[in-house]
Amino acid sequence: MRLIIREDPSHVGDYIANYICRRINDFAPTAEKPFVLGLPTGSSPIPTYKSLIKLVKDGKLSFKHVVTFNMDEYVGLPQDHSESYHTFMFREFFSHIDIPPSQVHILNGNAPDLIGECKSYEEQIKSFGGIELFLGGIGEDGHIAFNEPGSSLASRTRIKTLAYDTILANARFFNNDISAVPRMALTVGVATVLDSREVVVVVTGQRKALALSKAIEEGVNHLWTLSALQLHPWALIVVDEDATAELHVKTVKYFKSIERVQDEVEATQRQLKIKGEASQVGSME
Amino acid sequence: MSSKNGLVCFTNCFLPQEDGSLVETDLWIDQRRGVILDAQKTFFTRKERPDTIIDLGGNILSPGLIDIQINGAYGFDFSVFDGDDEAYTNNLKDMAERIVETGVTSFVPTIITQERSFYPKILQLLRPFCTGTSATSLGWHAEGPFIDMAKRGAHAPSFLATAPEGMKSFEELYGAENLAELEDWLMSAGSEAAVRIITAAPEVTGVMGAIGELNKRGIVFSIGHSIATSDIATTAVQHGARLITHLFNAMPQLHHRDPSIIGLLGASPHLYSPFSPITSKALYHGPVMSPVALTPLRTNSKANIPGLKTPVGSEALDDVETPPQTPVFKARSNVAPRTQNIAGFDLDAPQGFTRPFYELIVDGVHSHPNSVRLAYSSYPEGCILITDAMKILDPNLRDGVHEWRDGKRFVKEGDKLYLEGTETLAGSVVTLDKCVRNFARFTGCSLAEAIKCATYNPAKCLGIENKKGTLRAGADADLVVFDAEGVVQTSWVKGKRVWSRG
Repeated sequence: MRLIIREDPSHVGDYIANYICRRINDFAPTAEKPFVLGLPTGSSPIPTYKSLIKLVKDGKLSFKHVVTFNMDEYVGLPQDHSESYHTFMFREFFSHIDIPPSQVHILNGNAPDLIGECKSYEEQIKSFGGIELFLGGIGEDGHIAFNEPGSSLASRTRIKTLAYDTILANARFFNNDISAVPRMALTVGVATVLDSREVVVVVTGQRKALALSKAIEEGVNHLWTLSALQLHPWALIVVDEDATAELHVKTVKYFKSIERVQDEVEATQRQLKIKGEASQVGSME
Repeated sequence: MSSKNGLVCFTNCFLPQEDGSLVETDLWIDQRRGVILDAQKTFFTRKERPDTIIDLGGNILSPGLIDIQINGAYGFDFSVFDGDDEAYTNNLKDMAERIVETGVTSFVPTIITQERSFYPKILQLLRPFCTGTSATSLGWHAEGPFIDMAKRGAHAPSFLATAPEGMKSFEELYGAENLAELEDWLMSAGSEAAVRIITAAPEVTGVMGAIGELNKRGIVFSIGHSIATSDIATTAVQHGARLITHLFNAMPQLHHRDPSIIGLLGASPHLYSPFSPITSKALYHGPVMSPVALTPLRTNSKANIPGLKTPVGSEALDDVETPPQTPVFKARSNVAPRTQNIAGFDLDAPQGFTRPFYELIVDGVHSHPNSVRLAYSSYPEGCILITDAMKILDPNLRDGVHEWRDGKRFVKEGDKLYLEGTETLAGSVVTLDKCVRNFARFTGCSLAEAIKCATYNPAKCLGIENKKGTLRAGADADLVVFDAEGVVQTSWVKGKRVWSRG
């Protein structure tokens, strides 16, 4: 696992956007072989989306041959509700980039058969050959997607009851009316995320500091579902300075040193790749 | 300017909202159907996105302006008809195609008082239309002849009329088929957004009695050219009058003891709703002050409260029941006992008193900037900008002496128009986009708030805000691009660009 530390959320966003841009362009997607990208909602990824939009507008990146799968959606909230994840994704990202609507996948929280919806979502991901890169964020309790504390680390896409913490945190989006916050959501499972070839997670702000420390400095634990990332061969966490508040100095220093080495390795690999002698840059482990 | 799938996305632009704010966001339209799209639904449900993207460079993308009182333009006077239907219609179309340069994409041709035989014919000719590249002519606005002699203005005194038989007199004069129920009339007009407005003086014999019926048939009644007292004006509104014609002009000036028609802008909903003042008896001896009474009550549980027998105290009690944020008069109308009629008029209107919309000519001449600001501050939601322009309106026309009619000539001096050799104002020549700019300057409101007074407010008054005057999904894609100074850059009708600057 790699941990990248940047000054503030906007630098974190720029870093991830540039990273994803490079990954997509290196992949050289086509209509037959699209790049499959997993996407989150929430406030943490917004700077990343803004930065990606700019790359598209500047002509450095295109989503013409990118297929996306979103992590989650509320159950029972109308698709055009101002707080639905359909609305969020359209407002913050899809309306500004050049992705064809047919290549966008978001779970339907109003499907008559919710279990069937979840199953078919997993099958759709498979039909595209799995997810190439899953971008994620985390909650203050360390949840990834709606995999609240206590979720199975082997879980797949399914119906999930929201934790009371999450309901409280979301109440601000529903006029502080707790009764108006949806109680259920459809979400990809921890295993669905771990199945993707690469996972990139954005963690910003002091309030996420404890979750970050639990996820990377302690053992794999279903009460902090992000910690499952420790089992993933190719994971990247990008954080701002605030989010490191609970980490040991030693941890921070170690990961900073990794970044330097990684940069050197990647530069070498890129040279080799031009000569056709190396495959994609992977994890340090 | 056509798109492969017919969809166009306007980007890098600011959209005026219905609350008067300005929001930076994209707008999607369908050029083939000529309507504004729900972008998100188009993306997720229709699985389409626009093939064409138009960068507006940070300008304002507004609904097209609506002028609900305009007498003519580009040399054509709606009130002049020489018997040639085709010439009249062609002139109207020509005028409608040219006026889009002023940002106006909908207008209501206004007919000033004419000889009575003229009406049934001319109103027939004024069926709604849009050539596809023209502004939409929405119907007609008949200003007169049921107006007050004392405030007739430029209207010919010999043609003024009274309505001794109420609605029947209206039908005889305007033609019964022209006053048909809205649905029948719309059907024959073949249009979704179509309007009829009658400006009349409620104090003229028989007029007050016809307001209710006109309103029922979907005809907007506007108070104008009138000397109505405050009482009469208020009653007219209670009967259904929705509008005041060119506020301040052709009406008594504001007098504090009887503010007349202008005073309607200050009217409180509470004054005219069933209202029992809280008497000292109710305060000190009634159940109001008791803790029991202060707890929220269900209407049907009142009988259980000891000591509550008379209806006098119930008004105060109903207040306690009023949920937070609910307008008091609204809550009351459900529970208050039906009150008696006062002076023959039922004051127990179910929604209380709603102030009428009012038109303002914001050329800096017909109303002083201070008067404009005074009216706007007292009732911003009711404000509608109009030009009330004469046929000489033409932004390309130079200042100087121009022929009028009957051998008379007038002098155009900027937005002022005089009869030659006099100081008499001969009407207005201001364009509506200039009124918007003037209005923002006179009142200090934002450009978006000024735009609202020439788009959403008139549309709301006429009940056509689903089709015109808004950026709602499904509304006609009649659009105007303004720069930050409020100068029109391009005009669009039903999704097609029909005019651009330079």
